[in-house]
Amino acid sequence: MKPPLRKMLFISLGAVLLLILPMAASLAGESYFISFFSRVLIYAIAAVSLDLLLGYAGMISLGHAAYVGIGAYVVGIFFYHSSAMEPVFSFPFVLQGSENALLVLPLAVVASAFAALVIGALCLRTRGMHFIMITLAFAQMIYYFFVSLEKYGGDDGLSLYSRSTLPGVDLGDDVQFYYFCLFLLFGFVFLAWKLVHSRFGLVIRGGSNNQRRLQALGISSYRYQLACFVIAGAGAGLAGGLLANHTEYVSPGLMHWTLSGELMVMVLLGGLGTLFGPVLGAAVFLLLEEILAMHTEHWMVYMGPFLVIVVIFAKRGLYGLITGEGNSNG
Amino acid sequence: MAEMILQIDNLTKSYGALQATKELSFEVRTGHIHAIIGPNGAGKTTLVNQLTGNIFSDSGTIIYKHQDITRLKDYRRARLGIARSFQITHIFENLTVSENMALSIFADNGHNFRFWRNSLNSPIVKQKLPKALARVDLTERAASMASSLSHGEKRQLEVGMALTGAPDLLILDEPMAGMGPGGTVELSKLINTLKGSVTILLVEHDMDVVFSLADMITVLDYGEEIITAPPSEVRQNSQVRKAYLGEDA
Repeated sequence: MKPPLRKMLFISLGAVLLLILPMAASLAGESYFISFFSRVLIYAIAAVSLDLLLGYAGMISLGHAAYVGIGAYVVGIFFYHSSAMEPVFSFPFVLQGSENALLVLPLAVVASAFAALVIGALCLRTRGMHFIMITLAFAQMIYYFFVSLEKYGGDDGLSLYSRSTLPGVDLGDDVQFYYFCLFLLFGFVFLAWKLVHSRFGLVIRGGSNNQRRLQALGISSYRYQLACFVIAGAGAGLAGGLLANHTEYVSPGLMHWTLSGELMVMVLLGGLGTLFGPVLGAAVFLLLEEILAMHTEHWMVYMGPFLVIVVIFAKRGLYGLITGEGNSNG
Repeated sequence: MAEMILQIDNLTKSYGALQATKELSFEVRTGHIHAIIGPNGAGKTTLVNQLTGNIFSDSGTIIYKHQDITRLKDYRRARLGIARSFQITHIFENLTVSENMALSIFADNGHNFRFWRNSLNSPIVKQKLPKALARVDLTERAASMASSLSHGEKRQLEVGMALTGAPDLLILDEPMAGMGPGGTVELSKLINTLKGSVTILLVEHDMDVVFSLADMITVLDYGEEIITAPPSEVRQNSQVRKAYLGEDA
């Protein structure tokens, strides 16, 4: 089969599978799968957002978990204040807590985007190894900041007693929550697809390969890279907000560098520089983790070699293997 | 007096004890093909980088169209109409030929914060892309990844990209480097067709190319200007012969 056909087939098959999954799971009496795959969808959003940086813009960020964590904490903190009946802050204006998803999820996105703007503006002054290290350093700073926040549980984190509310949808119901996540994942992948093929995306992809050429054309890459960093941060914030809802629990662990590393593994496993690859990567990674962890607590012993083999033999990860696409951006 | 597009005055750049350009002064006339030649290590590429803003000069001034650009950054100079090709081919290997060209078409058309429409469907690209591809004979390769082009085709693409912005000054840094004889002829022809429509500063090793194309030649040796003159005069100059062929010539 020709690669475009295989690609189309894979994408439609994947979309259909995801759409019918809750029905299949309840028919099989394994409703646990619905919750598990909600987690996959959420991690997929985070992985796709990270791939915008890694695969398209060529910026190796090792601190992506920070934005996931910030998004999650926005949901957590607003929930906490809502149930404690006290404002989140009262200066310069009074902001009440809330459990409304229409408010807290956009806020999670905005907060993460803003954090990415500030951190990115500083990190992008550096290149290469320095960039990797400084993104990591900022993420760890934020991690320790939240560890030290006694009001919000410090090390132990915050428990939410229910999921956010959404008019007309009961997010507390696992099936409805699953479709809500699926809807957002589809939306985010579509946005990202438009983005990488747009004029902005062209500049971003060009800059990842040849910064100097871009400057010689008269394009200063800094603003574009920063914008991309902010968009990726916003995507991670959305994933964080959903994750807080999914587990009904937020903790500084969400910002730990190990989560940044796991997201990176998902991207590499699924296919660097592809949009559907990270979705596949998130599913395969979490499934393997789940299955291997049933048999041994040292599941990484098996995951490690598997990852090495995929990375060595498949340039575009599992997605590249399946679609037969060696090296195009798509 | 004819219009000068570029006036270089007392330009100096040293790397430690090594003086890569030494009090260099010359002018480039609008519409000319002005060649820079000199033996290896004469400071040709350093000069190009100084002109494009990839390297800042220690002292001296660069006047481009009556404007002092000595302290301007590279991308600002590019916006003023100075385009360049690199000695080692610089294209976007991870993009297709069309995308490479589109990116350079966008470069001088405002900002690129357009997130929605497919880049190749943009009206400005639809209008300019076919001509830009045809000009450097790459129409048939439009959908290929740039990384899959032959060496000569990559060169053509690079020159094509430098031309999309209708630059006033085109700096070609050894465009013939690494090309077979066929490619050299093709590219010489291309450069010749540009003559008059754009001022070209041509840095080149291939003497046949230089003497057949250039209106004016500046010869450098150890960062110093030996002579700036028309080809016929340069050919006769004894100092040039010495620099190229050694003392005995």
